[in-house]
This record gives sequence, structure tokens and C-alpha cells, in this order.
Amino acid sequence: MSDSKQIKPAEEKPLLPEGCTLSRRRFLEGLGATAGILAAGIVPAVLSSQAQLAGASESAKAEGGNAAIEGIIEENQPVNYPGKPVSYADPAGKQKWGMVIDVKACIGCRRCVYACVEENNIGRNSGFTYIQVLEMEPGKVDIEHTNLDYEQGGRPDKWYMPVQCMHCAKPTCVYGCPVIATWKEPDGIVVIDYDKCIACRNCLVTCPYDARHFNWVEPEVPEDEVNPKVPLEEKSGVVEKCTFCIHRTRNGQTTACTEACPVGARKFGDLNDPESEVSILLKTRRVWRLKEEYGTEPMIWYVG
Amino acid sequence: MAIITSPRPGVKRFIGVDFDFGALRTAGPRYWAFVVMLLIGLGLGGLAWANAMMHGGVVMAMRDAYPWGLWFVNYMYFVGLAAGGLVVYASVQLFGAEQYRPLSRLAVLLAGVFVLMALLGIITDMERPWRAVWMLLTPNPTSPFIYTGSAANLYMFVCFFDLWLLITHKGGDKWAFRMTLIALPLAIYLHTTTAFVLSMNKSRELWNTAMMVPIFLTSATASGIAVLLIAAYIFKHFGILELSAKMFRSLSTLLATVIIIDLFFLLVEILTVFWPTSAKPGHAMRFAEFFTGDYAFAFVPVLVLGITAFTLLAGRKTRHLPAIQITASALYIVAVFMKRYSLMSMGFAVNPLGTHASPYAPSLTETLIALGIVSLGMLIVTVSAKVLPLVETSHAPE
Repeated sequence: MSDSKQIKPAEEKPLLPEGCTLSRRRFLEGLGATAGILAAGIVPAVLSSQAQLAGASESAKAEGGNAAIEGIIEENQPVNYPGKPVSYADPAGKQKWGMVIDVKACIGCRRCVYACVEENNIGRNSGFTYIQVLEMEPGKVDIEHTNLDYEQGGRPDKWYMPVQCMHCAKPTCVYGCPVIATWKEPDGIVVIDYDKCIACRNCLVTCPYDARHFNWVEPEVPEDEVNPKVPLEEKSGVVEKCTFCIHRTRNGQTTACTEACPVGARKFGDLNDPESEVSILLKTRRVWRLKEEYGTEPMIWYVG
Repeated sequence: MAIITSPRPGVKRFIGVDFDFGALRTAGPRYWAFVVMLLIGLGLGGLAWANAMMHGGVVMAMRDAYPWGLWFVNYMYFVGLAAGGLVVYASVQLFGAEQYRPLSRLAVLLAGVFVLMALLGIITDMERPWRAVWMLLTPNPTSPFIYTGSAANLYMFVCFFDLWLLITHKGGDKWAFRMTLIALPLAIYLHTTTAFVLSMNKSRELWNTAMMVPIFLTSATASGIAVLLIAAYIFKHFGILELSAKMFRSLSTLLATVIIIDLFFLLVEILTVFWPTSAKPGHAMRFAEFFTGDYAFAFVPVLVLGITAFTLLAGRKTRHLPAIQITASALYIVAVFMKRYSLMSMGFAVNPLGTHASPYAPSLTETLIALGIVSLGMLIVTVSAKVLPLVETSHAPE
């Protein structure tokens, strides 16, 4: 007993350095551990999926996961697309974007929310964020009894679930817009034309995920924090929402929220790519979508 | 009853209509005081609109929790009030309800003015009204807004064209009849598509019921007949129209019939929402707010006022009294407004992610804009009462 007591602090010290600064050793340890976890999780998945492809390439449709993804990609077609890509990002490629959020991992820290606000020039005075993290009592995922304004940081005894624009394959907002000021691009991103929106706010009403927000005030962003790649003045008096960080993702980067998540609860990627994290997760994990019964076919999956 | 046969001073003939501007000169001080009051209301509305255009949506009480506000309540309400005029006018032409003939010009005028008010509500809510042109250039066929917006515009023009036909007798009875065949289906179409704006949303469980359409039709007709009945009494009081007690009796019977159908539809909806074998948690929870929640103050009066109005009109001994008819009509006009208000705001109060918002109350700017629009509508009718020949002249070939 006495021996173990003496050994314990010696073991703990390198793990938790004073002030929790990221020492070189800690970083390398973390890197190794992350690589190990990734390898343990993904390598078998990749191997198994490749084995499946090799073993039964003819009847790939018969494989549960692949067939499901193919069906999703087939559903995920442009809606009301005016034929030219949005001006402030590279043209839509052949990708079909999707996201998987691990609600078991989410700790409710709202770092994705803050990163999103900074990345997308959301007015600091606007009173909304693209991402809404819902706090729930443990026991059931009950969308009718959630808390949006919980204390900063999150608590270990609660459940958290981030909700944002789902970039649905059957987007009710796009169907509801009277003037085709919003549409679905070929890569699946639902975009809004800020110069065309007539501010009828029918899309706010018709979205089942409360993902759209109206700029009731002129959005204000401190001058040194403005992201030049994202419009700002144009957003005054029109509707805006999550764009899957279109200016980043079409240029080879991932979304700001995925990058900011400290626990890796968010995975973003191309559904067309069978080796992307998203594709692998969809094939190997029991995923579910929010309000699946509405038939909106959201492109964000949850896994718990 | 003075029928103008030859032009007299002050009468200007324009597009075949005798505009009697001379009547304004002889109008009494009470008339002008009323007009000045309406002009003040209109001015306040104009100032409020300028304020909204300068500062944007922030001066409204609407926020993301309530994307639509008083303007949309008023849109549904005014469009509904317009229905009564057309039902009365159409029943003259289609069913030979001759007792309503003296009322037909007033009825059509009111219908047109109410739809104008409804459309002005939309325009004043838009931060950039010029963008409305996209509704014509790139309309989206899957959006219910397109249908109700175009129907309201069309309906307004049909009403004013109808009024012109009635006054000038161009085309005679044949055209009056043909216009009814256009206007009546258009009116039904207008109220149906207005209901679709609410009911075609799977995201809002409270509204997502096909029953919304018949309720809109009956509420619209009932409130429209009620407002026409009151307007007719006012016009009779000031000696502009000569209307018989028999006509009012017939109109109030029609009103009572539509009220009871309206209440019946509501009862059916309530039963479906709460019956154990059909109740869905989301829908029942939201509807319960009408009886025990934040919106009870607006919805319970709908039932109380509605049942009271029907009882007043059904009583055999009292139903022929003008005071009773006017009271019942006024009660139902208030009831339908409360119904529109509670229906719209309660639909938003619990959002799709389960967040509750406190009840919506319009801001001063929104209220003043609505006041301005109502003043404008009343001003048009007040001036028309003097200037336009609203008295149905006999035009039978002699």
C-alpha cells in the first residue's frame, strides 16, 4: 500500500504538467495515442470495407453500408439550382458533403459555436448562432424538452447535441422560398443568395431544425475579426445559416466546427469517397438522423 | 333617393363613373373631423414605416422565435374580411338573393379595400420592397407564398373591376354574372392558399392539418359578413344606403349559419388533437397551450365570444333587433382576430427544437403601421361613401 502511494504522484506528474500547458512530451504522447486510436478504429474498418469490395465487387449494392450510401448520394441532388455556382467559392465539385456528430463524445463546450461565429462573420449583436447545442437530461433524446441557454462549459451529468443546418436532400426551406433565393448546389450544400432574399422568412418557418436565422439588426463584427472570405454587409436584413463553410470545404479544408471540436465529435467529409471518415462511419456505426420521419433526408448523422 | 341624371357642379366624369366631388364641399364638420382623425392615423403609420425602413427589423417585436408578426395576422385577417363582401355579392348574382342587391356595391368596395390593406401589410413588412419583383421573375412553384400572393393581387383587381362594372353597368347583368363566376372561385382559392401558408409546414405541428383550410374559409366568411353587416348599419345610419330590416335579418341568419359551421370545424380539430387514439405528443402539447398555457388569454375568448355571438343570433325573440345583430357581429369580428393571432403566435411559441418563447406582442412601430393601414382603408371607404355612386340604381330597361 505504502509503495503504491509513493509511486502514484510520480506517475501522474508527466501526465498533468502544472498549468496544463502543452509540453513537447505531452504533445508527442497525445499524437501517438491519437494515431493509435485512429489506427485501431479506422484501419480495420478500411480493411474490412476493402475486403468487402474485393470479395463482392459485383454485388456491392447488396452490402448494407455501401448500398445505403449509394442511395443517399442518389437522393442528394441539386434542388432549384440556377446553374451557376455561388460567386465567393470555387465551383462545386463532384463531392457530396456529409457530417457525422458523435453525441456520446460531445461535452457541450460550445467551441464549435465560437469557431463558427468567428469564421462566418456572424454579427456579434445578431443574437443567434448557426450551431445550437441542445442540453438534455440523461435518459432520452427528447427534442421537445431541451435547454439552449445552459451555463458555459457544459456539465458531465447532461447530454449535449449540436444542431445546425442539415443540408437536407429534401430541403423544405428550398421548397418554401417563393423567389428561389436559396437552393441546393450539386455538392449538396444549401446556399442563400443574400442579394435576392426578400425577407419573407418563410424558410425560418418551414425548417424543422430551426437552422435558419434572420438578421434583424445590421450585423456588427469587430474590424480585426472580419473574415474577408465571407460576406458581411450583404447579410443585413436577410436570412443566413450554416454553409458547411463553403469557402473552406471547396478549397480542400474542413469546416471550422470540425476543426475546433476538442473531442473529435465531428467528422466531415465526402460521401462519394468510400475511404472518407464519414463514409466509413456510415458503413460501420449505427447512425441516426434527427427527425428522420419528416423525410427531409438530412446530411448530418448522429452516432451515440 | 336622388339619382344623378345630369352633371351638376362638382361632378367629374372619369372612366364612365360620376365622381361627386361636390358632395365633399357640402359635407358637415363631423365628417371632416373623422377624415382628419383618419389622416392623423395614416400619418402616424407613415412615420412608423419610415422608422422601420431606416432601422430595419429591429424596431419590430419579431425575432427568430417569431419570424412573422402582426403583419401576417393582419394579412390573414383582412383577406378573410374581404370574403364576406364577395359571398354577399355572389349570392345576388348566382342564387338570386335579391334582398342583398342594394348592398352589392358596398360589399365589393369593402372586399377590394380589405385585400388592399392585406397587401400593404406585406409591403410595409419588407425591408427592401423592391425585391418583391422576384416574385414575378423567378416564382418558385413549391412555395405557398406564390399562390396566396398572386391570388390576393388578382382578387384586388377583380374586386375593383367588379365595382366599376356595377357602377357603369358596362356589359349589363351578363357580365356581372360572368365576373361572379371568376370572383367566387378566386375568393375560395385565395383563402385556401392563405391557409396553405400555415398548413404546408411539417415543421410546425400545430398548423400541419388539412382542417386549416375549411376553418380559414368559414372564419373568413363569418368575419367578412359580420363586418359588412356593421358597415351596412353605418351606411344606413348616415342615409347613404336605404336598407330594409328584412335584408339585415337575412344577413344575420347567414352569419349565424357560418359561425356554427366555423365552431364545428374547430371542435372537430380539438377532438382529433386530444383523442387518446389520435393524440400526438407534439401537436397535443402545443394545442394545450391554447387552454391552459400562455395563449389561453387569446384562445379561450375565441370560443366564448363565438358561442355568445351564435346564441345572440339564434335567440328567436331578440335576433331581429339591430343592437343584437351589431353586438354579435362585433363579438365575432374580435373572436376571429384573436383566433388568427393565437394561431399564428402559438405556432411559433414552441419552436421545432422545443425552445419556449414568451407570448408575442407587437411593438409600437408594428402597431402604428397597422393603424396607418387601417386608417387608409377607412379613409378610402369614407371618401367613397361621398364621392362614389354606391347606391344601386335601377337599370332595368324601361
